[in-house]
Amino acid sequence: MDDHAPLEGSGIEEPLDLVRLSLDERIYVKLRGDRELRGKLHAYDGHLNMVLGDVEETITVVDVNEETSEEVIRIVKRNCEMLFVRGDGVILSQESEWKNAPRQRINHSCIKNI
Amino acid sequence: MESSQDFTSFLIGRPVIVKLNSGIDYRGILACLDGYMNIALEQTEEYVNGQLMNKYGDTFIRGNN
Repeated sequence: MDDHAPLEGSGIEEPLDLVRLSLDERIYVKLRGDRELRGKLHAYDGHLNMVLGDVEETITVVDVNEETSEEVIRIVKRNCEMLFVRGDGVILSQESEWKNAPRQRINHSCIKNI
Repeated sequence: MESSQDFTSFLIGRPVIVKLNSGIDYRGILACLDGYMNIALEQTEEYVNGQLMNKYGDTFIRGNN
């Protein structure tokens, strides 16, 4: 794994400073409702409202078959060029590696797979 | 008599387990926390029942969870 300088002594006084360090970087955000986001952090505030660019949302859906009680896990992905995230849905955030090659530009609309 | 603030200052720099309302555990070294219980953790690991995801580096956890 990469080296990480210890947080103490690097000017981090409160947890929100950690988010501040991630500005203009790609981050991973875990949301309530089994959702995850990977995108570039353009802005945030004290509520953890965020503006993310070039973002991929991953939704994990568990379908339960009523008759067989079988659980089927489905993964749904959506992409957006620019997304506003309301802070009360955020569970955690961290800096993310570049998972994919730089994304190509797409139409000015969100692609929905649902 | 220790206040809760003394206790949390005592925890900083130590490995801790953060248990969320949802039942998910996060284990890591406590970097800092604030009055809302927002938490900054280093070398975080996520445990749901068994070990699920290995989170590296530094994570921020929102206090309301």
